[in-house]
Amino acid sequence: MMIRTIYKKISFLARSKRMQNQTSATDKFAGASKYILDEELAQIVNISMALEMPLLLKGEPGTGKTMLAHAISESLNMRLIVLNVKSSMKLVEALYQYDTLTRLNDSRFGDSKRDVSNIEEYIKMGKIGQSFMSEERVVLLIDEIDKADTDFQDDMLDVLDQMEFDIIEIDKTKRAKKRPVIIITSNAKKDLSDPFLGRCNFHHIAFPEPDMMRRIVQVHFPDISKDILESSVRAFYKMRDLRGIEKKPATRELINWIRALQADPDFNVKQLVKGDMPYLGVLFKKSPDYAMARNSVARLKI
Amino acid sequence: MFTSFFYLLRQVGIPVSPTSFLRLQRALGKGLINSIDDFYTAARAILVKSERYFDLYDQVFAHHFKGAELKDPEEFELDQVARAMLEEWLKDPKGMADALGMDENELSKLSPEELLQYFLDRLKEQTEEHHGGKKWIGTGGTSPVGHSGYHPGGMRVGGVSRNKSAVKVAMDRRYRDYSQEGPLTQAQIGEALKRLRNLVPSGPMDQVDVDETIYQTMKNAGEIEIIFRRSLKDRLKVILAIDNGGWSMDPYIAVVQTLFNYARAQFKELKTFFFHNTIYDNIWEDPSRYRKPHSIDELMRRDPDTRVIIVGDASMAPYELMSTDGSIHIEERSTKPSLERLKFIADTFSHSVWLNPKMEVEWPYTRTISVIREIFPMFELTIDGLEEAVQHLMSKN
Repeated sequence: MMIRTIYKKISFLARSKRMQNQTSATDKFAGASKYILDEELAQIVNISMALEMPLLLKGEPGTGKTMLAHAISESLNMRLIVLNVKSSMKLVEALYQYDTLTRLNDSRFGDSKRDVSNIEEYIKMGKIGQSFMSEERVVLLIDEIDKADTDFQDDMLDVLDQMEFDIIEIDKTKRAKKRPVIIITSNAKKDLSDPFLGRCNFHHIAFPEPDMMRRIVQVHFPDISKDILESSVRAFYKMRDLRGIEKKPATRELINWIRALQADPDFNVKQLVKGDMPYLGVLFKKSPDYAMARNSVARLKI
Repeated sequence: MFTSFFYLLRQVGIPVSPTSFLRLQRALGKGLINSIDDFYTAARAILVKSERYFDLYDQVFAHHFKGAELKDPEEFELDQVARAMLEEWLKDPKGMADALGMDENELSKLSPEELLQYFLDRLKEQTEEHHGGKKWIGTGGTSPVGHSGYHPGGMRVGGVSRNKSAVKVAMDRRYRDYSQEGPLTQAQIGEALKRLRNLVPSGPMDQVDVDETIYQTMKNAGEIEIIFRRSLKDRLKVILAIDNGGWSMDPYIAVVQTLFNYARAQFKELKTFFFHNTIYDNIWEDPSRYRKPHSIDELMRRDPDTRVIIVGDASMAPYELMSTDGSIHIEERSTKPSLERLKFIADTFSHSVWLNPKMEVEWPYTRTISVIREIFPMFELTIDGLEEAVQHLMSKN
């Protein structure tokens, strides 16, 4: 499949001016300055935005799931709100929090400007609540949804579907002012529940092919020499294929590795070709992996 | 529009819902889809909810819109098996040639494509399901090619999880369901083991104890007194013993590693030991089972509340289990038969389970599995099995 990559470096100010004149609903997403986007994904993002549906992204770590949300927010100039899901999280925490302790203290000492009899002053919006209350359209990234249990996931989708939630303490229903663009990411190979999937669009981001990876590297290092690019990417894929590695290095590690190689004045590309890989610690972060890689790179020929 | 496409997707087994189909219609109605490429991506994002079905979707799409031949599932699977055989051949030409009863030199003359065709033909000759015979390729038999078999020089074909596609094992519809579950991942194991917790207070006092706060406040004549407690942390002690020897466990290494990784991150006190096939006088702390032996009698000094999890396929020659000096390692002499040792462990630690990476349906065919099952409650090393095992480990008695 042909993959056209679009990356533009647009001056932030110029763009934000232009954006103000447009309504966000007609905006199309086409990539951002540090994000390489394949056309297929751009299409899916645009469809999801037009249908006002959350987009569920799966894929192994390092394929840029989280980066996509950042890229959308940058390119469409919307504010990004990130909800990092934790295993112990309750849905209500993501919506709002009733700060009882502060209220208790206020009523006790009476030295704050808040009105103790007005509960609403002690309600703080959670991440989902913030995205609903925002006057402009925002990008809401719900990161690593698979960490939470199934009930959380289903209940959250109900809220996102109806675009409203109740605050029990003050008996009020909060409706979203502008429907946010919702991106949900998941690492798990296990499927999420059916009702959940039914309400999302789905895309699986495969680990980038070497060609794609070269482009990604070039975006981060615009003036990298061809030799280093070629051999480091090739070495990287060889090392990803090492057997028995627990945590395979991903895009982030490659970028950092190249940064390390470039920072070293003594480094010579020929080293890589000979199978002498410096700074393996940047690529392999677990000590058994590191030891295994150490042992096997000597035998690698690239 | 595209109703027949929708039904074809359903027919091949992709779970597409009418709601999502209507949604696709909405996207079409909005003029968002202007070309066949657009349709391809949009329909996939809206209709197909798991990457497992992407391949199937591609096939259906090509069939529907480009007139490509839709392989019937049977043939598709054969293709997978033949490919797996080719991989094996590349790794170990001699073993494969022997297994097929062919001359290695003759086979090596063939190009990879021809070889693939040869394997495919060989598989097709066999028209019915075949498990337990001697010649054909299937599962559970003494046939040299296939998997879970007992041919000494035999090899496993397929059945090893691959990067994306689910586990595919030769010719056997039973495994369809299993493949749907996908290989065990760390997250799944985490989900299952999460319930294996014994919480006790530890760490800083940062949790408000509401009941106690109210009580103390009342006692204080209404002057508020907030009481903090320590939060609960897991202090469960776990012994994990892993069978890491021999080719019979090889296919399961990845799964066991995942289990091991999770356990290491999860429990406060975890001891991991290794053994080969079964347990004699010693188990080892080092995976090479050489440097750090740990006597079984020593285990008695541990807290009897410790949970013992043994992972192994429990498949071996009966004498290895029943007789004194049963170990297949010549240097490993034992005073008691392994059976006694296992009983000793089961008696010492009332909460112990045996996890078997083999599927439960295969258990009755191996004698030693039945024997060990009488000593330890045995569970499959799958999500369901793990959950049952955890339930057993958490039970009071």
